[in-house]
Amino acid sequence: MPVGPRPPDVTVAGFEGPLDLLLELVEEKKLDIFTVRLGDLADGYLARVRAMVALPADEVSAFLYIASRLVLVKARGLLPSLTPPSEDDEIDTEEGLRLRLIEYATTKGRAEMLGDRMRAGERAFHREGGTVELPPKGGNPDALAAAWLKVLALTRRAEEEIEVPGERYSVEQRTAEIEALIAEQPAVTFATLLGDRPTLGYAIVTFIALLDLYRRLVIDITQDELFGDIRVERKVGRMEELPQ
Amino acid sequence: MTRSVIAAAVEAVLFVAEKPVSRSELTKTIGAGGKAVADALAELEEWYQGTGLRLQHEGDDWQIVTAPEQAPFVATYLGADRLRLSSAALETLAVVAYRQPVTRAEVESIRGVNCDQTIYTLMSRRLIEELGRRDAPGSPFEYGTTWEFLECFGLTSLGALPTVLSPEGVRSEGAVSR
Repeated sequence: MPVGPRPPDVTVAGFEGPLDLLLELVEEKKLDIFTVRLGDLADGYLARVRAMVALPADEVSAFLYIASRLVLVKARGLLPSLTPPSEDDEIDTEEGLRLRLIEYATTKGRAEMLGDRMRAGERAFHREGGTVELPPKGGNPDALAAAWLKVLALTRRAEEEIEVPGERYSVEQRTAEIEALIAEQPAVTFATLLGDRPTLGYAIVTFIALLDLYRRLVIDITQDELFGDIRVERKVGRMEELPQ
Repeated sequence: MTRSVIAAAVEAVLFVAEKPVSRSELTKTIGAGGKAVADALAELEEWYQGTGLRLQHEGDDWQIVTAPEQAPFVATYLGADRLRLSSAALETLAVVAYRQPVTRAEVESIRGVNCDQTIYTLMSRRLIEELGRRDAPGSPFEYGTTWEFLECFGLTSLGALPTVLSPEGVRSEGAVSR
């Protein structure tokens, strides 16, 4: 936008280019694009261009180019016999310039139509990321069934372990059992007492029972090394105190 | 009316396709003749009238898309941004759309201004693309519209571009010789 005061009826920023400005002049004066004498627009066009000094030089040059064509057309209109029209550039003749202007007007109409469609937002969408992720080839239903059976077996085993309820083994009951066992054989390992795959509850109850027996001086507990097996031995000399 | 067997097959393939499928690919995939597939596509096109879907094609590439009338709902669902273009970019797009294949110099000649920036903008938004080089001095690039252009403007094909009349109501195609 130009800085400072500017002529009230000139909107420099409102144009898309020199042809747009020319078209604007035609429409402003309600002239017929097919019959207007384009040379007559030269003065009005130059007045607009003069108000555009704030534009970059390369942009102004495009406007000046069209202005020069308009002046040329106007001059030819005034002196038709003295200036044979150049055949090199179609824009040098009035009809050539007119065709350019009509083509631009059509383009502008099409651009407006596209703009309307764009603003209406009536667009289409396609499926995004619709590719199906296929599993690797060679899938074997039997292998799947076998895998499922394995999972089932694991579940069943876990259920069995859970089915051994810790409550079935009270400390008192376990103490009595170990006491009876120790009465028959002088020594037993902790691992033997736990048996295969003990539940956590069974192990705890067994361990507490041992601690109780140790406290009551029924047994001796020895462990040769860290994390080694714990030996449970009958305490000699206290056997007479054991109940039958 | 029920769909023919081939139309149903074409519809199924296009439904899962992520990108446009050429007619020859459809022919090969379905194992039907080219004419039968063409008929099936026409049948589907008619079938989709008044539904939420459309059959869009550029040249011989086909794709199922949503109907432009349903765009607000689809856009909301997808969280899609609305396309915004300046009037300068729209003018350049209009020239490319109606005159393709077209070179930069031709676009600039019609618009009367430098179009570097607008062509770059339209390229980066995938609305136009370089089609190749013209066999002419300087071998300039030729530009054309893309599949995305059709989609963004809700056009089922380039043939669906509206005929825009010149301000005076005269179809200007005849007025401009090229």
